[in-house]
Amino acid sequence: MFGAAVLMASASGRHETSTTTLFSGMVGGLYLTAGVIASVRQPANRVGLLMVLVGIAWFAEDMQVSIDPVTHTAGLFVRSASTALLVHLVLAFPSGQLRSRVDRVLVTIAYVTVFGLIPLSTPFFRTYTKNLLLIRYEEWLPGSVNVVQVAVATAVVAVLLVRWITSTRPARRVLAPVFVTGLLGAVESVVGPVLGEGVPWAHEVLSDIGHLAVLLLPLAFLAGVWRVRLGRTTVADLLVRLPRASPTELQDLLATALGDPSLRVGYYRADHADYVDREGRPLVIPSYQAVTVVERDGRRVAALVHDPALRDDRHVLEAVTSAAALELDNQRLAAEVRAQLVEVRASRARIVAAGDDQRRRVERDLHDGAQQQLVTVALLLRLAQQQLDSSPDRDAKLADYLRRSAAGLEDALRELRELARGIHPAVLSEAGLLAALRALAARSPRPIELREVPLPALPAPVEATAYFVAAEAVTNALKYASARTIRIEVRHDKDELHLEVTDDGVGGADLTRGTGLLGLRDRASALDGELVVRSSTGAGTSVHVVLPLEPA
Amino acid sequence: MTLRVVLADDTLLFRAALAELLGSNGCEIVGQAGDGDRLRALVAETRPDLAVVDIRMPPGHHLEGLRAATDIRRTHPEVGVLLLSQYLEATHLADLVGSVARGVGYLLKDRASGPDFLDAVKQIAAGGCAFDPDVVTAMLNRPSRRDRLDTLTPREREVLSLMAQGLSNAAITTRLYLTTRTVETHIRNIFQRLELPAELEHHRRVLAVLAYLRSN
Repeated sequence: MFGAAVLMASASGRHETSTTTLFSGMVGGLYLTAGVIASVRQPANRVGLLMVLVGIAWFAEDMQVSIDPVTHTAGLFVRSASTALLVHLVLAFPSGQLRSRVDRVLVTIAYVTVFGLIPLSTPFFRTYTKNLLLIRYEEWLPGSVNVVQVAVATAVVAVLLVRWITSTRPARRVLAPVFVTGLLGAVESVVGPVLGEGVPWAHEVLSDIGHLAVLLLPLAFLAGVWRVRLGRTTVADLLVRLPRASPTELQDLLATALGDPSLRVGYYRADHADYVDREGRPLVIPSYQAVTVVERDGRRVAALVHDPALRDDRHVLEAVTSAAALELDNQRLAAEVRAQLVEVRASRARIVAAGDDQRRRVERDLHDGAQQQLVTVALLLRLAQQQLDSSPDRDAKLADYLRRSAAGLEDALRELRELARGIHPAVLSEAGLLAALRALAARSPRPIELREVPLPALPAPVEATAYFVAAEAVTNALKYASARTIRIEVRHDKDELHLEVTDDGVGGADLTRGTGLLGLRDRASALDGELVVRSSTGAGTSVHVVLPLEPA
Repeated sequence: MTLRVVLADDTLLFRAALAELLGSNGCEIVGQAGDGDRLRALVAETRPDLAVVDIRMPPGHHLEGLRAATDIRRTHPEVGVLLLSQYLEATHLADLVGSVARGVGYLLKDRASGPDFLDAVKQIAAGGCAFDPDVVTAMLNRPSRRDRLDTLTPREREVLSLMAQGLSNAAITTRLYLTTRTVETHIRNIFQRLELPAELEHHRRVLAVLAYLRSN
């Protein structure tokens, strides 16, 4: 009503081209409409109210266009009212809150200028229509008001640019339409007064851009409102696809629906009071991410870890979480089972590693402890022998005892060395798998062909398992299969180590009939690997072990 | 002439017994060390004829002795180095010997109480080599060498193995109950089959054999 009245009153003074009645009516009307829609959708958000105020101020400004001196003079008081409200609106979008002190200072300056300085300067302002309050024209006044406006507009551009650069993707999605038009308008406010009216065509173009930006800004906000609607159709789409989604797809569907590729689903484990991811591993929540808990029938079922900017889009977030709650609850149980499996696997691998550590320690204790002492005793016996040999009355019997002791000690030392090597060959931890396999081949009474390729650094359990498989297979081939030739082949690809031992013996080996290979198969599968024995009577035996290089 | 010897081993009892054995057999013990760093310092200070080094020493009880021995061979090539170990690995031999097989040995610790130990010590101090029979066998057995070594007769292999252990022609003659002439023929045949130049002298032949064993 007020708008229509102003339009009528000001119609008389309107310029033919830019400030048409239609344009003014459309802009003001759009602000009012969009503001009302926004207020209804989000009553707590001040953005709607600000839009309505911009609409009203827009119409109020137009009073200055009237050729009726009274209306015109009244209009001069509020001749820039909408700009301050626009600054407030752009900076407060989308939450309705001003975020920083810089924002608040800028908005305050804008309000003081528009509702303080400009009304106060009215008596010193000359216009085409008669200014009833004109006391004296001060030429410097319009210039200084312009300077303040340029400064505020420049600062707003800077704030918007910084905000855009530091925003995450979902946040930009929300900000984009409003920021682009806001920037356009701000650029016009900066460049326009600087150029002044000196360059008529440029002034014309800039003025058009300014008007366009003003016209588009309420549309941009409407687009924002509309996008929430679009979000809802995504939710509908989500609802259709959810029941058929695998855990991987579910997370991807939610990420797509919310426009946040960083989104992760965490399934709640009530007995551990923690979250696990879709593979069953404990969920790590980065400190910069926000967490939205998903509940179903009052029970916590899952959590979405997402970009904090999604909270600006609360409608979509809530719609998506409530749509997915049922499916998340269903998949929670599967995730729990997977989590248990992950734990069991990890504990099996730990047991293998602990066993290896223990073997290595025993080997070292044997070498550095018992063996070292026996070697010292052997040396002392030798000194005793030497002493005895150099004495004039050499006791032949004593010399014989000493010789036999030394021989016995020598045998004991050899056996001890064999024992230590069987427990854990020192060369394995000192020089790696290939060196250990070469040593194994060198010790063999039958020729062993070793086909090797350079290996990357291997995890200790993988190295030890591969070696023990080779050692066991070679022992079996020599002991039971009466093999003439044995071949060990080692190779690897990006994620697996392959070791194959083939012989030309009698064959007929059976994994289940109590050879050491059965234990080694368990060991391989504890590392997520696989051990396969192929053996048919008369056709030799092949033992093939595949071990992943990275623990799963 | 007495040999000036430095001993490095962190087992005090063994080191003391070894010092006594060497001391009563024509050596002078000019220094004893319990770890690799002390050994390096001692060698630089005393310039001995020979350093006897245990492969495992503090702080890590890993391969500190091997590393110290390798360093000494690089910085003081005139000092003979005898590495002792509780077990033998061909891998370590290659690291220790490097490119010049002069005045170097690698023996099982047990050999210290055996009959050939003092000979090995003298041989190394004089610039020769002494490698444990076990480790020589292991090297000869290495698959990559097999093709060419397969052309040797069992007796020739035996001779080659003794050569690598640092035995002289005379010693091999005695050990295998052969005439000097037969042994010389065997050695000539070995050089031919292994395509080694034949005109090298005593310990150089061993070095050449080892160089061949290490190659490719």
